[in-house]
This record gives sequence, C-alpha cells and structure tokens, in this order.
Amino acid sequence: MSKKIQLYSLATPNGQKVSVALHELGLDFDTHVIDIRKGDQFTDEFKKINPNSKIPALVDPDGPGGKELALFESGAILLYLAEKTGKLLPADPAAKWETVSWLMFQMGGVGPMFGQFGHFTKYAPEKVPYAINRYTTEAKRLLGVLEARLTGRQYIMGDDYTIADIATFPWVVCLSAFYNADEALGLADFKAVQAWVNRCMERPANKAGMHVAPFPAS
Amino acid sequence: MSKKIQLYSLATPNGQKVSVALHELGLDFDTHVIDIRKGDQFTDEFKKINPNSKIPALVDPDGPGGKELALFESGAILLYLAEKTGKLLPADPAANWETVSWLMFQMGGVGPMFGQFGHFTKYAPEKVPYAINRYTTEAKRLLGVLEARLTGRQYIMGDDYTIADIATFPWVVCLSAFYNADEALGLADFKAVQAWVNRCMERPASKVSVFGAYNCWVIASCDAGGGAMCKEVALSAYDNADEALGLADFKAVQAWVDRCMERPASKAGMHVAPFPAS
Repeated sequence: MSKKIQLYSLATPNGQKVSVALHELGLDFDTHVIDIRKGDQFTDEFKKINPNSKIPALVDPDGPGGKELALFESGAILLYLAEKTGKLLPADPAAKWETVSWLMFQMGGVGPMFGQFGHFTKYAPEKVPYAINRYTTEAKRLLGVLEARLTGRQYIMGDDYTIADIATFPWVVCLSAFYNADEALGLADFKAVQAWVNRCMERPANKAGMHVAPFPAS
Repeated sequence: MSKKIQLYSLATPNGQKVSVALHELGLDFDTHVIDIRKGDQFTDEFKKINPNSKIPALVDPDGPGGKELALFESGAILLYLAEKTGKLLPADPAANWETVSWLMFQMGGVGPMFGQFGHFTKYAPEKVPYAINRYTTEAKRLLGVLEARLTGRQYIMGDDYTIADIATFPWVVCLSAFYNADEALGLADFKAVQAWVNRCMERPASKVSVFGAYNCWVIASCDAGGGAMCKEVALSAYDNADEALGLADFKAVQAWVDRCMERPASKAGMHVAPFPAS
C-alpha cells in the first residue's frame, strides 16, 4: 500500500483548500478524482471514507500511532495537517484559537453561503429571485466582514499565512472564476479582499494546489 | 473583572451548543443576552468580540497564559472548551480526529442547511417552493447520514458523549421544537436519531440548557417569571408546539417540568440567555 497521503477530491473550492495545503506543506500525495457530477461520491467504497458523500476526504496511511486514518470535512483535514506538521497555525495558543475561530467562520458561513449563492445564480434550473437576493445579500455581508478584517493585514491572522486563509480564499476566487459574480457582488469594491486574494494566489504552492483533481472533461 | 467565562448568546441551537457544554463541564459563567431580533449583535462592543456579528461568542478571562481570550463560532468554542478541560473529546488521537470530522460535518452541513430549511419553512415572508424543496431534501439527506452513523451506537463516537453530539443534537431538537417539521421531514422515521436525541436530552446539562431554554422562552414571553409552565401560553406563544411535539404524551416530562420549575435554583438556572420579551 502506498505510504503517501491519499486525497479524494475535485477542484471545487473545498477540494482546493486541501490540495493547496498539501502543496504548501510539501507533502506527497496521490489524488483520486471523485466526480460529483457523476455520483462517484455515493459508492460504498467512498462512503466508508466519508459517510456524508462529499469531497474532499483524505486517508493518511501514516496517521496517529503509525496507523491509517481517514478524515472528511476540509476544516478537519486542514486542522489535522497543521497539527501533524506544526505549520500553518500560529504557535501562540491565543493566536491559534483566533485562527480556529476564523476557520470556523469559513466552514459555517463563507462556504455554505457562497455555495447557496452559486447554486441560485448559476446552477438552479429555475430563477428564484427571493433566494438570489437572500444569498447575494449574505455573500456581500460576509465579504464585508473579510474586508474589515483584512484592512491593514497581510493575511487573516496578520503577517502569518494560516489555514484560515487557505480555507477562505479559494471560495472568494470561486465567486469570480466559477460564479462570474464580479458585478453581482461588486467584488472590485472589496479592495483589501482583492489584494489578499492576489497575495494568496501568488504563492508558488497555489499554482499547482488550485489545479489538483481538475474536473474531468465531460 | 469577573473571573468567570463570559458567554454572549441566545437560546438558538448554536447558542445552546455552548451552554450545554458549559453545564456539562461544570464551568461557571455569566451570560450576556444578545437579542439578534433587536440587532444587539451589531454594536461596536459586540463586534470587537465577534466581527461576524453572530452568537454565540465567548470571552475566557483565564485563557492561555492567564490572559483574556475572545472566541467566536460555536465549533471553535466547543473545541477550545474540550481542550481546556480535557473532556468531551476522546483521548485517543485517531478518535479525536474522527470526532473533529463529525464536528465539522455539523458546522459546515447540519447547521447551515437545517437553518436554511428553517428560514424557508418558518421565517421567510413569502413561500418559495424551490427552496423549501431543496432544503427539505438536504435536511432529510443529512438526517439519513446521522441515522446510519447512530445505528448501533449510543452517541456519534460510540460510547463516548463528545462535542460532536453537543454540536448536533440541539439542531435536531430545533427541527421539531422551533420549526415544527416532524411531518415535513418524517422525523419519526429516523429511529436511531430519535433515540440518540432522547439520550442526549436526558443528560442534566441538556435539560437546563435546551429544554430549559425553550421553557424559559415561553415563561419570559408570558411574564410568569418562574412559575409552572402555562399551557395556554405555550400554545399561543409557541405556535402549536403541543401538537408538533405531542407534548401531552410526555406525562413524566410535564410532571418533571412542574417539579423543576418549583425549585428556587431554577429561577437562575433556567434563564440562560432567554429571548427577551419583545
């Protein structure tokens, strides 16, 4: 069996979070593309790794005690990789917990709400004005929270690039690149957010990390 | 300054997660009610603690290094309290990480999606069939994932009660108690989930924090201030909760509520971040 980390993923924002982190940490890994458009996530084999049938999921053959460990949920995977390597989380406990707050802000807010925005503006087979308005408003509110945080900071935690950034910037990129929402959300007005996204995207690890497990050609 | 933990909260599922944990851990705390219906979450003072303007938030005056620590997001707070006390998370590292996966499943899936379900079935000023259908389907799917996990287990992590349970069961209770969704979601069919919810709710810490919070909401609304639960008031203030929950069938529960409410200690213990009277 391979001693490399096994990544089960697709190049959606949640998948990209983990491949970005793996590249940033210089960890070797094999990628299994789980094409969620085709239902790969519902096989019995995959459900053993993630009973919730979502990507990303990860299996570390060299987990705690040298045993194989399966993980699901990008937030859990990011925390695990940070703890395993001692990187991407501040050493100072107070700063560490602040980072975890911002990670959870992404997991509970940014991801789900930007995702609903994307569903109703891009994927829904019918136009649902109430929902489009609801999630546009919430996406803008969340961007405003990020804007305030990033004003005067290089990264969410100041000078340190952490898993809070890694969890969040792929979703902001997605608003533009996947959802074409520059105009609908007035993305250009969030100047601190834009500068931060560019700063994150310039990191060498992201050039590869953002493109792992690309969507197979239909 | 108080040396107790300061909780900024309201008796919503996300708020209840933290008060359940605090009671479970036997930690002293002061509660500041943040009434999100009135915009308390948007004050500059509160935004210093949570720039995202949401509850719960928590300040521990005895944080790392003995310094004050502010935290927001219920998932972060639960992880912090577990690490601070060494409880509610398995000691075995592999089980610890599995618990964190389930915690994130709640943070990223159960909470946000049950919340959208609640918005479109209860709070939205117009009926949006597409959205009702979307979130009903997803809520059922998530309940199915929980059902599969809980079949053959006492709690999400087996025999251990953990922050994964604490994060999740208040939201399942909410589907019934707040959203009256027993029928819409076929809640009774999720038998392992129902048994697990009952198991979680039997714990004394949960009774104060979850069931107690609902009772206390009713009592605050009817201005009874600590007397026995008023049935007519419950019906009017709570929107047919008796029917949705089949409250009359829980005879032992009714008797117990009356018994608990008579205790002097309940006046304080019941009013953890109650919804203020409108």
